[in-house]
Amino acid sequence: MNLVWQGLREAFHLIVSGDPLVLSAAWRSVWISTTAVAIAAILGLPLGVLLARKQFAGQATLVLLARVAMALPTVFVGMLCYAMFSRRGPLGPLELLYSPWGIVAGELLLALPIVIGLTHGAIKSLDPRVGETAFTLGASPWKRGLTYLSEARTGVLLAIMTAFARCVTELGIAMIVGGNLKDRTRTLATATALETGRGEFARGLAMSSILLLVALGAFFITTRLTREKN
Amino acid sequence: MIHLEQFQVIRDGKSICEVQHLDIAAGERIAILGVNGAGKTTLLRALAGLESGYRGQLRIECPLASRTYVHQQPLLFRGTVRSNVAYGLKSMSAFHWLGKLGLAELAERDANTLSGGERRRVALARALATGPKLLLLDEPLAELDEMAAGLVSETLHDLADTTIVTVSPTPLPDGFPVDRQIELTHNEGKKSAAGR
Repeated sequence: MNLVWQGLREAFHLIVSGDPLVLSAAWRSVWISTTAVAIAAILGLPLGVLLARKQFAGQATLVLLARVAMALPTVFVGMLCYAMFSRRGPLGPLELLYSPWGIVAGELLLALPIVIGLTHGAIKSLDPRVGETAFTLGASPWKRGLTYLSEARTGVLLAIMTAFARCVTELGIAMIVGGNLKDRTRTLATATALETGRGEFARGLAMSSILLLVALGAFFITTRLTREKN
Repeated sequence: MIHLEQFQVIRDGKSICEVQHLDIAAGERIAILGVNGAGKTTLLRALAGLESGYRGQLRIECPLASRTYVHQQPLLFRGTVRSNVAYGLKSMSAFHWLGKLGLAELAERDANTLSGGERRRVALARALATGPKLLLLDEPLAELDEMAAGLVSETLHDLADTTIVTVSPTPLPDGFPVDRQIELTHNEGKKSAAGR
């Protein structure tokens, strides 16, 4: 128990003192995950709407794939990206391996199925009158899509925040694709693993506590945004 | 404007709406009466373009963008009353239609805090704001008090060029704009029409 208190005290000290290593890892964790989730939202929200509202061949298979991919192990995605980004891989010339953008690409693969799958579920559970009303009021397909997202915004925001929480706390991709390079690809999750591996348990706990703060911050924002008016 | 011949909607192998023959002229205001389950709502939905699985002939000389259907239980979108009425706005201003239907003071209210009767009037204002050529109303006076029903009737009276098809289980009150009234009967596969 002493160790936990010591870790929490150290976390507080690291934040207050503005430890540059911690701050850079925290900032990197946030921007990498935010970028990956933003791209996932741009691609995944329209796809989620399309899968929920349009009938076409292969639609059920795509929904099933998205749902299965929601449970992808991060180490699997990490290994997949490693194989793609390594010098001999098909995307080797992009030099993404051991770069922050390589982690963004890996986290995008992690976030996209979550955004698609949860958005699909949220839109699918909407009252059918939403689409009918928009249609009979002359809304264009684009406007109808925006109406679906607006009406299902609680579920849609939860989809985005769930994807963010999964990305910001993941370790496998950041470690395998990023390589945990100081000042380049080190994130809070990989820093935690590094400190704990070095026997610096308190410092590791401090790092993971800061990660917890970031995740709680995301939860707080989601709660604020999805709060219903009475 | 509307022509139906040997029209039939079948769901799960059962006919849920049948009309042998029906013609509705442009600008006509027609009331379709019938007991519950006679297929009134299904017919209205077919006219709105919301039912695709039907047999027979259905010809409507009015593009989908100019037809507006108001549900039996209208759904209002998230947001204020004004944002709902402005959703598909093409004709006049949102305030014009809210004022016509006695809803001006509710403009900034959250649409989902309204009573059943208020919701109905907001849904009608929203439909009218799209400037429809064909207005399809499913029991528009349900849940409305006498004053609100009067406002609705008066507003509909003023729509000179709009074809209005209204369905109701009971005869519509005097003052509601109706040129002709027909009755839809269930199972017999026939529609009988009577002038009014």
